[in-house]
Amino acid sequence: MRLDIGASLRLFGGLSGLLERVRADLAAMDIPAQLAVAATPLAALWLARTGGNAVCPDLAATRERLAAVPLPALQLAPPLARRVEDFGLRCVGDLLVLPRAGLGARVGKPLLLDLGRALGEIADPQTCFVFPEQFEQALELPAPVDATPVLLFAAQRLIAALAGWLAVRNGAVREIECLIDHGHGATTALPLAFSAPVHQAARIERVLKERLDAVHLPAPALALRLAAGDVTPREQRSHALFDGAGQGDEALADLMDRLVARLGPQAVQGLACHADHRPERASRPVAGKPSATLQAPPPRPLWLVEPPEALPERHGRPQRGGALVLVAGPERIESGWWDGGDARRDYFIAIDAAGRRLWIFRDPRPPGGWFLQGVFA
Amino acid sequence: MNPALIGALQRGDIRRGDAFAVAPAPARCVPSGTFASGFAALDAELPGGGWPRGALTELLAGHEGIGELGLLAPALATLTGAGKIVVLVAPPHCAHAPAWAAAGIRLDCLRLVFPRRPRDALWAGVEALRCGGVAATLLWLDGMFRGGLPANSLRRLQVAAGEGGGAAFCFRPAQCAAAASPAPLRLQLQAAGGQLRVQLLKRRGPPARQAILLDVRQPADFSRSISRVVAGPALPAAGERPEPRRVPA
Repeated sequence: MRLDIGASLRLFGGLSGLLERVRADLAAMDIPAQLAVAATPLAALWLARTGGNAVCPDLAATRERLAAVPLPALQLAPPLARRVEDFGLRCVGDLLVLPRAGLGARVGKPLLLDLGRALGEIADPQTCFVFPEQFEQALELPAPVDATPVLLFAAQRLIAALAGWLAVRNGAVREIECLIDHGHGATTALPLAFSAPVHQAARIERVLKERLDAVHLPAPALALRLAAGDVTPREQRSHALFDGAGQGDEALADLMDRLVARLGPQAVQGLACHADHRPERASRPVAGKPSATLQAPPPRPLWLVEPPEALPERHGRPQRGGALVLVAGPERIESGWWDGGDARRDYFIAIDAAGRRLWIFRDPRPPGGWFLQGVFA
Repeated sequence: MNPALIGALQRGDIRRGDAFAVAPAPARCVPSGTFASGFAALDAELPGGGWPRGALTELLAGHEGIGELGLLAPALATLTGAGKIVVLVAPPHCAHAPAWAAAGIRLDCLRLVFPRRPRDALWAGVEALRCGGVAATLLWLDGMFRGGLPANSLRRLQVAAGEGGGAAFCFRPAQCAAAASPAPLRLQLQAAGGQLRVQLLKRRGPPARQAILLDVRQPADFSRSISRVVAGPALPAAGERPEPRRVPA
């Protein structure tokens, strides 16, 4: 790892103070390291490989120190390393005393360029390290936990970290995976899906709370891990000045996310029409965005009874707590011979003794019979 | 009259027993007030001239299928027409999309929630009511609880409605009419011939003595349009019918 510390010396109290701090941090994290300070990045790398904690704050000291660096620290390609060894060269100093033009012809231009970079003769621009655009953070629990409120409390730290990570990127996520580690390789995965990209810690917490309430932990949890899915740029919206129109949308998305998290994705539905004459297929639950609507044919009941309820027949009249009075109909619906859901039905609107308006049909094909399929509410 | 008494009567939080209360304004409720039910006769009897926002409304229907949803349909059509969201919690049956669309209700503004456990149903109802993004919530909770709704659940719903500021319609069986309820508006619905008989059991205002008869959308009114046969041969003799009609083959 190469750090450009030239600009940070004053902040950390000089070179010695900075080095002390780096060493202390590395020791705290239990990472073995060899430090070297040099005027050029490549020289620092070579010096670090040789060990010995070289500190050469300027170019002259760097040159002096480099001369003693053994050639294996340069990690040359094996054929070149062998050739240079055959010349009798042992350290960088041996290379430097040779005339450059002749050296270039014998060892190739790349090594010559590297020498120039290490000595500060050629500019050596470095590409900055970019943190990976992925959030994954784990938290060891101090003691095994089997109460979900405690887990939620622990997860708040991870969620706060995620919210901060998202805030820096002005991003939002649609999917978050929460892994509960029970030890011995057993984990419980809680994928959190949101209807719209979220970035607020409070919303993520509320959805996670519902998921945690619904889940049954097979064993006490030892660790938590939170990983964010793809990050999308946050949607920028100017808010209405007086009525909180945008807030309403956000509150609704939050509500839907929590309902799905607790009740399951099947329990929350939209509604859409479908072009089919059979009523049970003309209406479809849709999980996502409902499609465009269709104009309805003749009167249809608001409620459908699924599956249709068989009605007894007496004296040729359908019965349901007494004889039903047919007030309208028939409407013949015959469809579906091509897809296995063949239906031929004659629909009537009927009123029962209590004043309920029902949508019933008679199946003219054997064995026939009357069925209740809808309620006009 | 005593001038001090007149002054006291001018106050907003005091109402006379023979007058409607000013529309209640719950603390966090942003769009307080009422919205038209679509039935002028009913609006005249409702405090504030329409269905209340931010308060629980109980609809006690003797039976389902007498037009209890037809009573709400005009108001729901207006709400969804403006892009407002309507949530149905634990509806008793599958909703038939073409019929809802025909009633003028925008389907993309409807959300149906089917909780499996009673506890979840109550929770979903409270959460939907508390959500500021939901304009109206329709609840069918009594069917979920075997022994009737728990004692404090209506109170929870009423408080949640006040927080969210949306309309709340709770459909309950007629047997609950005698029980006390925290809902500020209670309506009893009965079938009366082809009409819907609405009796206001409770409202913020003088007690209503007379029931209202409303013409909710009658499917039988459309019977004339039933003369088309989608496919197949003519109907075989199907028992006795009050309006026998030849169906073109």
